[in-house]
This record gives sequence, C-alpha cells and structure tokens, in this order.
Amino acid sequence: MGTTAAEQLLALTPERRPEIPETLNGTLRLDAYENGWTQHWYLTVTDQHVEVSRSADDADLVVRAHRTVFDRMAAGQLRAAAAMLRNDLTVEGDMRLFVVFRRIFPGKAGARHPREAARQVAAEPNSGRDVRR
Amino acid sequence: MRPERVYVMSGNAFAVSDGQGDILVDPHDPIGYFAFDTRFLSHWVLKVDGQRLNALSRDDMTYFETRFFLVPGAASHYIDADVSLIRHRSLDEAFQERIIVLNHSAEPAEFTIRLDIGSDFADTSEIQQPRRRDVSVVADSERRELRFRYARDRFVRQTIVTSTAPVDVDEDGMTYRIRIEPEGEWITDLHVATLIEGPGGRDLRASLEEHRQHVHHTMREELQAWLDRAPLLVCERPELTAAYRQCLVDLAALRYLPLTKAGTVPVGGLPWGMALYGRDAIITCLQTLAFLPELARSTLYSLATLQGDRLDDDHDEEPGKIVAELRYGEAAAFGEEPTALYYGAADTTPLFVVLLDEYERWSGDADLIRELRHPARMALDWIDEYGDLTGDGYLRYLTRNNRKGWVNQGWRNSPDAIAYADGRLPGLPRATCELQGYAYDAKRRGARLAREFWGDPQYADRLEREAAELKRRFNNDFWLPQAEYYALALEPDGTPVDALTSNIGHLLWSGIVEEERARALAAHLVGPDLFSGWGVRTFAAGQHRYNPVGSHLGAVWPSDNALIAAGLRTYRRDAEAARIASGIFDMACTVGGSVPEMIAGYDREVTKYPIQLPAAGRPQAWSSGGLLMLLATLLGLRPSGDNLLVSPALPSGFGRIELLDIPGRWGHSDAYGRDRGNLRARRPRLR
Repeated sequence: MGTTAAEQLLALTPERRPEIPETLNGTLRLDAYENGWTQHWYLTVTDQHVEVSRSADDADLVVRAHRTVFDRMAAGQLRAAAAMLRNDLTVEGDMRLFVVFRRIFPGKAGARHPREAARQVAAEPNSGRDVRR
Repeated sequence: MRPERVYVMSGNAFAVSDGQGDILVDPHDPIGYFAFDTRFLSHWVLKVDGQRLNALSRDDMTYFETRFFLVPGAASHYIDADVSLIRHRSLDEAFQERIIVLNHSAEPAEFTIRLDIGSDFADTSEIQQPRRRDVSVVADSERRELRFRYARDRFVRQTIVTSTAPVDVDEDGMTYRIRIEPEGEWITDLHVATLIEGPGGRDLRASLEEHRQHVHHTMREELQAWLDRAPLLVCERPELTAAYRQCLVDLAALRYLPLTKAGTVPVGGLPWGMALYGRDAIITCLQTLAFLPELARSTLYSLATLQGDRLDDDHDEEPGKIVAELRYGEAAAFGEEPTALYYGAADTTPLFVVLLDEYERWSGDADLIRELRHPARMALDWIDEYGDLTGDGYLRYLTRNNRKGWVNQGWRNSPDAIAYADGRLPGLPRATCELQGYAYDAKRRGARLAREFWGDPQYADRLEREAAELKRRFNNDFWLPQAEYYALALEPDGTPVDALTSNIGHLLWSGIVEEERARALAAHLVGPDLFSGWGVRTFAAGQHRYNPVGSHLGAVWPSDNALIAAGLRTYRRDAEAARIASGIFDMACTVGGSVPEMIAGYDREVTKYPIQLPAAGRPQAWSSGGLLMLLATLLGLRPSGDNLLVSPALPSGFGRIELLDIPGRWGHSDAYGRDRGNLRARRPRLR
C-alpha cells in the first residue's frame, strides 16, 4: 500500500506550492467517512500556501468521500474526475478550488513524460500507429 | 434515404426522434433522449388503437420545442380522419410531451392511446452496440408513474415518467382508455425526469407547471435576450439574414453549464459531439468575439479549471495541458473510455493562450487576464516542456494510450488524415504545421500579456525571442521551395510530409508565414486542387488519399474556411478571402438551416448543389461560429486600442451590409460595407 491520504495531508509542508494559482484563495474541507464516523481535514489556501488543520468548520468547497477513496487518490490510483463521475466523491461549493484538491495529490505512478514515450516509439518504429481512433 | 430526424435540445441534453415523434433505437444514429452522455429514453412510441401514427405536419417552434400534427393509420387514409393528435414536445432539464387527441366526428368516440416506453441507459460512446444493462422497472398506476433505474456501484441513473391524466402503467409503457365527446379533445402531459446521483446530482422531478413556465417564458426570453445581445445584421439578401439568425440560435442551443459552474460553454454539436471539446469550444469563441464575447469568458474560466496537472498515460495528460474532451457517462466514469477529462490534443493549449489574448483585445477585461495568469503561464510552459517531444523545438503529438488514444491530435483527427501526397503515413510523433503556427501565435500573444498585464517584461522578451526563432526555423524546415507551400508535417527525423492541405491557411491566420510567401499560399488556396467553388478542401485533389467525402481528406469545413479567410485578410489577400467567404455563404444559404459541419469536396461546377455528408453533424458550434467569423472578416473588424476598426472587402454580389451594435471595449459600435462590383453596376452609364 502507498501512503494514506491522512499521512499525505499531515505531511503537507507550509512551503510555497507553485502548482497552485496565486489568485486562488479560499478554504476546502475534506470529509472522509468510514464506519459511521467522519474525519474532517480543513485546508486554508493563501498565496500558493496550503495550511492543513482538523476542523469541521464551513468551507468554500467541501469534498466528501469514503476514506478509502481519499487513500486511493493519495496513492495516485484514482483520478478525482472519475471518482466524481462514479459518485464515489461528492463536491459542493466553489469549484475553482477543486484545482487545489487535485494538485495536492500525486499522479499515477509510472506515468511517462511524453518525451520518454517518444523515445520508446523511436526504438520500435511501428508502434503507436495502429491506434483505434 | 436516411430516415428523417427531428431533434429538440437544451444544453448537453437532446432528444432525437423520427418525423412522427417516435423514438426507436437505431444502431447507426444516436436516437433517444440523452443527457450527460446517457440515454434516458431509448423507446417512446405512440399508438392509437394499436396503430402507429403518420405526420401531417410539424412546427419546429424553437430549438427546444416542437409540435407534431398526427393522424393514425396509413398515409392514404388520413383525408377522412375523424381523429387527430398533437404531440407537443419540449426540453429543458427535463423532457416533456403534451398529447392532445381531437375527436372530429359528430359522435362520441373511444380510443386506446398507448405509449411504449423504454430506457436502456446506453452511454453515448456505445450507440452502435449498447451493452445489456440490468434496468429495474417500477410501474405504479396509482401514482401514474413509470420508473427505470440503473445502478453500477454508486453510479445511478433514473428515468421517471409521470402522467397528468389517469393511466394504466405497466413495465413497457402506459395505456389510456379514453372517451371524447363530439368535437371534443383530451389532453395529457407526460413528464420525463432524469435523475443523476453524483456530479450534477439533481432531482429533477420539478412540477409540470414549473417546466411549462420555464420553457414557455424563461427559455424563450433567454433566447430572445441572447439574440438581442448580438449585433443586428441589416443586408439586402434575406437569405443572409436568415443564415445569420440561424447561427445565433444554434450557438444559443449548443451551450451548457459544466460542473465547473463558471458560465455556459459551447458543446461540439449534434449528434455525436454534445460535450465539451476544448478545440471546438476555443475556436467557436475566437469566431464569435465580435458577436457574443460572453462565451469566451466562461470558456476560458472552465478550461482553466480543467487544466491538466499531472502525467497520466491513459488520458494523455501533462501539467498545463488544456482538455480535449469531457464526458460524464458511464464509460468515462469507469475508465472504459478515457473521456473523463481526456487531454489528447496538441493544439488546445496554445489556442487557449491565443483566445485569452484575443478576448482581452475585444473586451478590455484586464481582470480576467490577471486572474488567469497562472493557467496561461502553465499553458505556455507546456509548449516547450511537454509539447516538444523530440527536442527539435517543434510542437508534436504522440498518444500514450495505445488502446483508446487519438492517433492524430490536431484538428485533423481521423486516423489517416496526416499523409504524404503519395499516400504514405509518416511516423510518430508528428509535428503538423498548424501546431507550429499556433505555438508561434501563443508565444507572441503571451509576450503581450506578460508585458502589459503581468508585469513581467523579461518573460515577454524571452517569449518574443522564442517566437521569432520558431518562425525563422519553421520557414526554413517546412517550406517546400519547388511546390511553394508549407509541408503538412515533419516526420520525427525532420523529413517534410509534402501533402497540400488547407492547413496552410491556418498558418496565415497565425502569422507565422513570411510576408513574401503569402501570395503563393493564397494562389494555392483558391487554386483548382484546393478550392471546390464552395470552399477550401481539407486535402488537395490529385493526391493519393484525396477523397471528396473524406472528412479530413477532401471535404470542405466552414470552420476551417473561416480561419483561412481571416488569415488571408491578415496578409491583405482580400480578393482570395472574399472568394472563399462568398463560396461558404453561398453554400450555407443554398443548404439552408444550420450550417453543416462539412460538405463534400466535389467541384461546385459539377454538382451545382452542395453535397451533404452523413458524417457531418448539424448544428455544430464551430460551423455556426465560422459563418459569423466570415462576416467579421469580410467587414474587416479588428480591435485597435479602445476602438473598433472596420475595413470592408466584400465579394461582389454581397450588396450592402450593416452590422449594428457590435459589443466590445468601445461600448457598442457599427460597421458598414458594400461590395465594389455592385457599386459600379449601379452607376449610370454614359451613352
């Protein structure tokens, strides 16, 4: 198993996070439920800094899912968009802040940089051509 | 002959039926009532005393409302019909049908009115072969309700049909046993609510009265307000006024509110593209800035919110990339299609920057430029960091999803669209020429934004240097000196792919073409191999893969031609621009109704009439937008500081046109133009 969402959130350092737009300020609350109780994570976003605390206060964006859904996202195994479409994750409030939620979790392990994929194709000239669409 | 199709639409929801209003599944066509990429009604057939109905006439009132006038039985019988029906269908966030049965005889009459109803909850990606789903059905006569429910884990879709008149409900439909007095009528309303649990989660069993209010008042008023916000076209050709109005109506119809909730954005178009496509949306916005700039603002916002931020092979995602396609259906949700945010497009990202800059030039909305600095910077960084796949400085594409990814990731996205003149297919990754034009344009525009709004002159200098270098190298590496045009693409090793295509017009539009080469390109664009008489073919005739009915291998696209004409005017090739615009306008006016996505590339001289293609959708946002852009191009509309410049160059026969109340940073402004040929013809002659 990879890291859990809880571990990952606790490890969020207060350093500047350049992947978050500087114009995006606000609060998010992540509600992770399991066996009838809910853990609340409260994220305050200011000037590309994210501060994490434990609070059930109102937030601009509330993201709710089973604890395992958050964990799978933290492990890079689940995309937020797919989780939303499957109704495994619900979102309420200012959708612009969803960008922050997506960007605090990593991508899929083993995903390739396009240049790496291009090098692989160069090594085997005919791959990549028989794509369906 | 293809069967007749009748549609009503609203946002990303649409209902397609036959000419009688019946819905029966057809594997070749998305027939049914769809919303959020799911088919909520796959069967909807009306019968009177066991007989299907025939249409006498139809009134397509608005894009969201249609009335069918029907009689039972075979066509030859209905002269003496003593019963007739009106089926009045409307669509907002729900589907509604009022059925009125009229007894024209002097005697009371009894009828059995039957509506067969079914829902297969097919995903839009599997229309040709919908898989079987376990749909639970609850028939409740007491509540006059028929309910279909499909669940896969927590993904749940429901269709709930309710009737106002008392009805016997069974699992396959509803039956009314009615008696109507002489010269009397009977009415029922059927309300079809779609229930989505999850994103866009909504319980839409709103009251019937609410629906009627919404359709009859709010939606009509909103449509009117939309038309009122657009400039007024006054001209001598009534068919031109009709075409203009149809474009505005189509653009109104093809808008939906994505879950990003930043305002409405254009969907691609009927029937297959009722979803957000980054490319179509951006191009549509660029085409319509002089007319309905509000589309651009909400599209830029939404695309910024959906911007890629990680590496993901399945979805061809990289940080900074602008989305290619967004779907909400089951196939996207469960990863059977990569369309829950698919990023397989190499042009959307530079075009996003182009749109951002162009939007500011028209609107003066500096706040949005500052607010979207970060996504714009990520987009610009993407070009070099993730778009340059072989390190030679050119923007290229290569899907990392070998199962479902798009092999071609520019606007020519059919699998064999990028080919040599002799038919060979080049290797991957491919650097198509229009991508270099877009990248050049994006860098130049990014430089302006950095200097004027982001307070970053050093970055602006860097972008300008890079743009100049790209232009220099491009003109060296892509130019085919013998043939005098730019190659369609470069192979991974830099070998030029020598096909002659309409993409050379995009290069003019982006400004990457050396001044002295514009004349040769213009000559190709209106030459016999590319120009059909109606417009510029995607792929020049005489080349091995040329095919007049091939989407990207010979067909003529109005959206493509709009960019080409604009590019020609940028290089002061006014006569060629006017010729192309004139052909497309003639085509649109001859075909009538919504501008099709494309027409066949046959010579106009040969067919005399534009040949429509089954693959061509309509309405299509960027076709409707394309006609508007051609109009703006002919009038030479261009923002300059806080003023609107007008510099008309109309084709002969166009007469006089006025475009009044053009919105922009100048408030509202008017443009006038008349064709010179006409002017001379009207002048009294010396004897």
